[in-house]
Amino acid sequence: MNPKHEIVPISDREKKLNDWLKKPGGRLGHITSIDGKQLITLVLDTETGSSFCWETPIEHSTYPSLTHTVPQSHWYERTVWDMFNLTPTGHPRLKPNLLHESYAPDLVPLAHVEVNSLTAERRQYKPMEVTGEGIYEIPVGPIHAGIIEPGHFRFSCMGEVIFNLEIRLGYVHRGVERQMCSVPWRHQRFIAEAAASDSAAANAYANAIAIESLCEEATTARAEYLRSISLEVERLSMHISDLGGLAGDIGFLAISATMSRLRGSALRIGELLTGSRFQRGFICPGGVVSDPASNLMQIQKMTKQLQIELKPVLQFFFNNQVANDRMEGIGRVSPRLAIDFGLVGVAGRASNIDYDVRRHFARGVYRQDEIAIAIETAGDVMALARVRAREIETSLYLIVELIDRLPEGTVRVPLPEKLKSNQIGLGIVEAHRGELLHLIFTDNDGGVKRYAIKDPSVNNWTGLAISARNNLVTDFPLCNKSFGLSYSGHDL
Amino acid sequence: MLKLFGYLLKQGVATSGDYCAPLAEGVIGLPKFTDEVCAGTSCGACQTECPTQAINVTESDGKPDVTLDLGSCIGCAVCVRTCPTGTIANDNRTKVASDTRLDLIVSSTSKRTTSSNTTPQGIFERSIAARVVSTGCSACDLEIGACNNAIFDMERFGIHIVASPRFADVLLVTGPVPKAMHSALKSCYEAMAEPRIVIAVGTCAISGGVHKNGYTEANGVDKILPVDAYIPGCPPHPWSIIDGIRNVMKRK
Ligand code: SF4
Ligand code: SF4
Repeated sequence: MNPKHEIVPISDREKKLNDWLKKPGGRLGHITSIDGKQLITLVLDTETGSSFCWETPIEHSTYPSLTHTVPQSHWYERTVWDMFNLTPTGHPRLKPNLLHESYAPDLVPLAHVEVNSLTAERRQYKPMEVTGEGIYEIPVGPIHAGIIEPGHFRFSCMGEVIFNLEIRLGYVHRGVERQMCSVPWRHQRFIAEAAASDSAAANAYANAIAIESLCEEATTARAEYLRSISLEVERLSMHISDLGGLAGDIGFLAISATMSRLRGSALRIGELLTGSRFQRGFICPGGVVSDPASNLMQIQKMTKQLQIELKPVLQFFFNNQVANDRMEGIGRVSPRLAIDFGLVGVAGRASNIDYDVRRHFARGVYRQDEIAIAIETAGDVMALARVRAREIETSLYLIVELIDRLPEGTVRVPLPEKLKSNQIGLGIVEAHRGELLHLIFTDNDGGVKRYAIKDPSVNNWTGLAISARNNLVTDFPLCNKSFGLSYSGHDL
Repeated sequence: MLKLFGYLLKQGVATSGDYCAPLAEGVIGLPKFTDEVCAGTSCGACQTECPTQAINVTESDGKPDVTLDLGSCIGCAVCVRTCPTGTIANDNRTKVASDTRLDLIVSSTSKRTTSSNTTPQGIFERSIAARVVSTGCSACDLEIGACNNAIFDMERFGIHIVASPRFADVLLVTGPVPKAMHSALKSCYEAMAEPRIVIAVGTCAISGGVHKNGYTEANGVDKILPVDAYIPGCPPHPWSIIDGIRNVMKRK
């Protein structure tokens, strides 16, 4: 499963990537660097479930930007500029992504090369200015009105209609990737979980897969099942929470209150499985830390009960005319743009992208169990809500089904202290928001020299900005809730 | 609509009347010390295994002493699982908030239980308005959100969340406050009318948690603002959050 390494000279990179994206199943996984001396382009083949790691040596810290032909690279190139001081020449809107003005200009957190004479100018952030008669701006954040993470939204509007939305992130950049390299690998999972705790199981899972691949060890069948159940419980509770939030923003409070109560049941299921409402500290490299054998019957019972309780609530929601009117045709992202910007997860599937890591990079349990992928074509708030509702059903089914088929045996295999040296490890998981990647590079001694995380939100934030265009300001909360993105997962 | 009302009525009352109910069997809380004697520095397993360096094993006059900083602890239960002598065990209490940072540092020899000095009839006793500033991973925020659901229903205790610092009596800060949030957090605090209270919610907000001592200076709220109360946990249980806020409400 580990990506095949390949040296791609800078002159070939653009053509090669464009060709890759044109072929069926070709996806861009990530663009980053190891230490500032090269560019790493991770590409995926969803048809064969394989991946390639293209290494492009860089001299003089500059390279030609690919944003003009591969729009989805715009965001990665900004991050690489912040973290490695590699400048993408010709980037149409180069500005910082993760590091704000408050950081010293010569701080280049992940580079291991000499950087000299960096000025404060590079930290300056200029939002795009929309001009014209009657255009005005609404700035929101970084601290939001609700109980959510920080980020800055700048709406350029004409009357009630949004012309452009610029999203500025980085407020919760905590330095996760560098911290990951400073601890022994067996402690990494705790930082990975805290990177975005609403995806704790997914992050721990991706870390475990990547580390196991670097040990060339596999875990037991039972542990593989338990991890998948854990991932489905996480998806279940977050999808319930996101649909409830959507109902709340429509003003359908009976639904949102019921959903937040039912989310409590989903969290309780997670607690029975792992001992923690957010399933923290359960999945580890080598397996899982404990076997919830004695709780499995109760988990199944509660899941079936939740299935019964959720059904009418979802029906009330989707059959309500007002709710329909608020969701249909709002926040549309066309399939073309969804592909160009590499949208993943629920947002991708709502815009007709048939991609689900559980099926395309199938491992363990999902191999025998075809995942019914929920696909919609409209790309609007309604489509996203429908995909979520159908995935709730799939997750409920899977939890019960996987427990029925759970193999006997132990749940953890011992792993060596040291990882294989000079290797690349990849962990890829379908988190509730979509494709989550953990990419690890080891050094000569088997230490971790670079730990890269690509949260699904990295792809989808641009999707949200697109969805808001030409919609009413008052509909933005619905677009936002339908995407349900993570700030901390993006900012790391 | 009528069918919906019917459904809701059938669901009955979900609100829990069991204030600060202990965690259910098998649920992981924060660690605590038992009466079992620690094996000393020759063991030190918990100290090596703790991912946040929250534990320190020392010996004075041959007597082992373990100190544990609940303000750095992420409740991973690794110490509970590794301790061969059973000195460290799982604590199922949800009343964990404390007034001072020092109260969160507990020791195996002088067992100080975290408690809060409260005098009745504080000015916010009957009602308090809270503003949440999130600077973390969102789990703490989701748990504050859960305090508002039908099960925990913190409004019944007179606690309500407001959307502006201008209306707020108490600032609930989650997350380690990385550098890019320093000035935003300060200005939010300055926009509050006095008297104002700050509560650090969650391990990150208390000490930086797993993020501490990095280049983003994400070392917790009390490096930026004066903090009046601390609620440990990663994330803290909704009951712990409600109890922590209730404690400051009772304060003069
Ligand atoms: S439970 Fe807390 S003290 Fe114990 S190992 Fe985990 S973080 Fe450290
Ligand atoms: S204390 Fe834990 S749950 Fe809270 S913000 Fe920090 S990592 Fe997230």
